[in-house]
Amino acid sequence: MDIHSFQVWLVTTIYQNSPVADLMRTAWAWPIAESLHFLGLCLLVGSIGTFDLRLLGVAKRVPIAAVHRFIPWGLAGFALNIVTGTMFLLTEPDQYIYNPSFHFKLLFMTIGGLNAATFYLTSYRRVFGPDAPLDAPRRAKVIAAVSLCAWLGVITGGRLLTFYRPAPCDGPQTGLLLTCQP
Amino acid sequence: MIDLDPFLAWVESTTLSEWIVGSPSMFAFPGILVLHAIGMGFAVGVSAALDLRILGVAPRIPLTEMRRFLPVLWAGFWLNAVSGVLLLIGYPTKALTNPVFYLKLTLIAVAMVLLVRISRSAFGEGDVTSALDGALSPRLRRLAIASLVCWTGAITAGRLLAYTYTRLTQLH
Repeated sequence: MDIHSFQVWLVTTIYQNSPVADLMRTAWAWPIAESLHFLGLCLLVGSIGTFDLRLLGVAKRVPIAAVHRFIPWGLAGFALNIVTGTMFLLTEPDQYIYNPSFHFKLLFMTIGGLNAATFYLTSYRRVFGPDAPLDAPRRAKVIAAVSLCAWLGVITGGRLLTFYRPAPCDGPQTGLLLTCQP
Repeated sequence: MIDLDPFLAWVESTTLSEWIVGSPSMFAFPGILVLHAIGMGFAVGVSAALDLRILGVAPRIPLTEMRRFLPVLWAGFWLNAVSGVLLLIGYPTKALTNPVFYLKLTLIAVAMVLLVRISRSAFGEGDVTSALDGALSPRLRRLAIASLVCWTGAITAGRLLAYTYTRLTQLH
């Protein structure tokens, strides 16, 4: 199965089996889920962004490990957004799976995730050890900058979704991903 | 009650308003919305981090050191003040005829007053509690909780603007 057929299969399968579509189509479910999605965004930026800024040199007198205590709150915001985001996707799958802005949002989320994994694999010990320096190593600073850019990319991709709603396809599609409604 | 319609019609007839709403450029309406979301993330996010610190999260950060993150909060706030005014110039009728819009502005105003009071209390010379994680004053904790409640309300009200307006423009 090529990627285009997979996208079509995904949209069809979700439409036929979505467990949340009925709930999400009630009067206030969608707006409430959106509000929660924005709250999750703020928690994520406020926690992970604050930690990134510390790695980049803001509040340099504070031990890096002390600021890391905000991270679970950022992960909670992320989890909230995965849940609410999945609810949107399971209700209007074609509006996301054929939407180039959503493709970029997922790409930036992947970059953010791999970047965070890189941090814990390469810099965690040096930054959190008993004799950790107050100034983060250069590698950790690069990771922090990439993290900030990745999450800003995720926000941008999310906010622009509505401006790239897929139109019906006119003829055969050649792009890597399908960005119209077949 | 003053009739706002002539004023709203004038705003909508300006070149700036027409560009914001009508331009096909992604830097017009879509770009302004993106900046508004990013500013929200930093303004509300950093304010929430300060509130959480006051409520006991990350206790090893000296409270006074949290002030180093405030410039980011203010940058987000001003970014949103400017982008918010631009969005308002784009759709003045949509916002100004919707009571939810005034609720949103009121909640933001209260949240900012709370922030100033929290800052004075936490970073100023008042009842300084700069000790590492010493018992922060109950007053400061109450302010932090009120701040989180206001931001939650402001974001919810903001999101509901898309669903509660009754008139989009003077023409509609």
